[in-house]
Amino acid sequence: VSRNGIILLVEDQQDDIDLTLRAFKKNSLVNEIVLARDGEEACDYLFARGVHAGRDATKDPELVLLDLKLPKLDGLGVLRALRANARTCRTPVVVLTSSREDRDVVSSYDLGANSFVRKPVDFTEFIEAARQLGLYWLMLNQNP
Amino acid sequence: MSATILVVDDSLTVRMDLAEAFEAAGYHALPCASLADARAVIARTRIDLAILDVLLPDGDGVDLLFELKSSPAGASTPVLMLSTEAEVKDRIRALKTGADEYVGKPYDASYVVAKARELLRGGRRGTEAAAATILVVDDSETYREALRRALEGAGYAVILAASGEEGLRMAADRRPSALVVDGHMPGLDGTSVIRRVRLDAALRGLPCLMLTGSDDGGAELRALDAGADAFVRKDEDLEVIIAKLTAALRRPAIASRGDTVSLTGPRKILAVDDSPTYLQALATALRSEGYEVILATSGDEALELLAIQPVDCVLLDLVMPGLGGKETCARIKAAPVIRDTPLIMLTALDDRSAMLEGLGAGADDFISKASDFDVLKARVRAQIRRKQSEDEHRRIREELLRSELDASEARGARLVAETKASLAEELARKNAELEAFSYSVSHDLRAPLRSIDGFSQALLEDYASALDAQGREYLQRVRGAAQRMGELIDDLLELSRVGREKLRRESARLSEIAQAVADELRRKEPERDVTVDVRPTLVAQADPRLLRVVFDNLLGNAWKFTSKTSRGHIEVGSEERNGQSVYFVRDNGAGFDMAHAGKLFSPFQRLHSTAAFPGTGIGLATVHRIIDRHGGTVWADSSVGAGTTIFFTLPAPKPPKKGGAS
Repeated sequence: VSRNGIILLVEDQQDDIDLTLRAFKKNSLVNEIVLARDGEEACDYLFARGVHAGRDATKDPELVLLDLKLPKLDGLGVLRALRANARTCRTPVVVLTSSREDRDVVSSYDLGANSFVRKPVDFTEFIEAARQLGLYWLMLNQNP
Repeated sequence: MSATILVVDDSLTVRMDLAEAFEAAGYHALPCASLADARAVIARTRIDLAILDVLLPDGDGVDLLFELKSSPAGASTPVLMLSTEAEVKDRIRALKTGADEYVGKPYDASYVVAKARELLRGGRRGTEAAAATILVVDDSETYREALRRALEGAGYAVILAASGEEGLRMAADRRPSALVVDGHMPGLDGTSVIRRVRLDAALRGLPCLMLTGSDDGGAELRALDAGADAFVRKDEDLEVIIAKLTAALRRPAIASRGDTVSLTGPRKILAVDDSPTYLQALATALRSEGYEVILATSGDEALELLAIQPVDCVLLDLVMPGLGGKETCARIKAAPVIRDTPLIMLTALDDRSAMLEGLGAGADDFISKASDFDVLKARVRAQIRRKQSEDEHRRIREELLRSELDASEARGARLVAETKASLAEELARKNAELEAFSYSVSHDLRAPLRSIDGFSQALLEDYASALDAQGREYLQRVRGAAQRMGELIDDLLELSRVGREKLRRESARLSEIAQAVADELRRKEPERDVTVDVRPTLVAQADPRLLRVVFDNLLGNAWKFTSKTSRGHIEVGSEERNGQSVYFVRDNGAGFDMAHAGKLFSPFQRLHSTAAFPGTGIGLATVHRIIDRHGGTVWADSSVGAGTTIFFTLPAPKPPKKGGAS
């Protein structure tokens, strides 16, 4: 099975984007990161439609990092659409959010999130979530 | 099926007379001469009504009355006592034993039958009147019979009366569907009969058709004036009468209430006078009018009787030995219910002052004994009519009041329901608002803090060499402050959440919850020198999620305040005080001065510096709110250097009230 190691980061806050990308770099992760700044753009990429119509079919993400509070379609909406589509229904999704509200955690898991990580993005916590998901290869896929 | 009437009387004449009258009225009569005969009949036959004499050869009729009324089968059988009007005492004794009616001898057979029919109707209302019944009142037997045949041929049931007086009594008694009356009769003529029918609340809706001889020119006008619905000349074909009658019956009659007692129906009059001669004369005159007359010779007797049997009118002599007319009148008019009985004062003295005296005592009318009995009868009729119309007005008024009351009750209930609904809606809206607010605080307020903390960390890590120790220390302070603010936000949100969330009481295992919290504290700081003793089997009816928050805070505090104590010790337990369980979390840590204990459970109140023991000051306020929502209380006991104990109670929820003891 060929692996592309692509991570789709769905996040609208520039500060959070920068801090997440920095954390990746600090931990020597060289995975290709595709950025989507709202829920609709995320779906467009995932289903190769709209602004991403006709994108390279081999570039389906192998992991989605999903913020819940997003412009247009929110994170839970993206999660719902993603789980309903045969192409993406098995793609691992880690939900990232500021809140500790029970209802966010519960609805995320109800809609099929694989893990839930609370911001601020504590990288050790993220690595732990990935480990539990069996995504060692993501961490190992490093440049020599 | 016709009703069976038991007639018990030792006089053969009375037995024959009553049996004949009842058979003629369509009943089945069973005459008996003695108590023994009567008991034998009752034992083998179901009877619908009994007529009992008081004085019988083998005993007292009242004894049989008592037997009948105390047997399960006979308790609901109406009993009419028929006895010589010797003394009011007999009447009172019989009525007290349970007689439904008491008729004095000499009696009128048709009156007894009418009373019996009234009593029977009380038990089986509405079983009669299947086919339209026409009452024909005419003094000519030939014409009566001809009309009867014609009407019966047209499918009507017919009852006949030979005079106006008899016709009115039958109308009241049998409640026919229509009345056909001859205009020309001796005594009460057709016009008067119709006029009386129209004055009677129970009968006024009755369609009336008047017949007259062809030579009478003004009769039609008089008949219509009196309220007749139709007018037919006797020389016209009988077919015309039937056609007009059918037309009159088609018209929607004013619904008359079945329970309104008719003016001309059997009526009781109580006559009170110390002169037996006058009483007898009065009784004869009134009985001829169809009234039942009860005679009393003193005011005391009259009052005693009225207490157990209501009458329709009282005739009272003004001057009597013993309790005088004025005093008797005053007492009658002071008694509830009875006071509405029309009362006519009688006196031999025909002067103005006597009249004023009588009316002043509350009498409704006043009449001189010297007056003609016809005048007296007319006055009695007028008084009874007035009473009937007053009763009807009162009934209408009461119905109106009741419907208004019902309407206003309904309005009130609707208002309360609406107010409740709008309050509940308002509360739900406020709660939703608060929740949305908390949600957005939790997301949006923390985002900038994350940037402050994250970029401070990036500076420290990526540009450490560009900063001196002082610069690095400042950046650490920035991060510390950002993190503390994050904690504050979390704690405030929790405080708001525990006040808002629905309380879910169940059997909460407090020991397990406390032990889990202690284990977590130990995992985070395994190097701490603290022992935690949690007494097993602590249970309470409480919300386990909220109790988790309580122990998070209380054990967290105990853990924190023993951090500077060597051999720290924390104990979770309970003790009985005044019959209720008091739970506690006790430590041997820093403690505080009880002088400041008052502020302990308010938010943002801290008894230690953040440098010595970090914290937001919100934890105990959260604990207080949770215990408060459970209906319990929380308090502290502490002294500086000797540790702190926090006590709290979790009273069992009040059980819903139950009907009886188990």
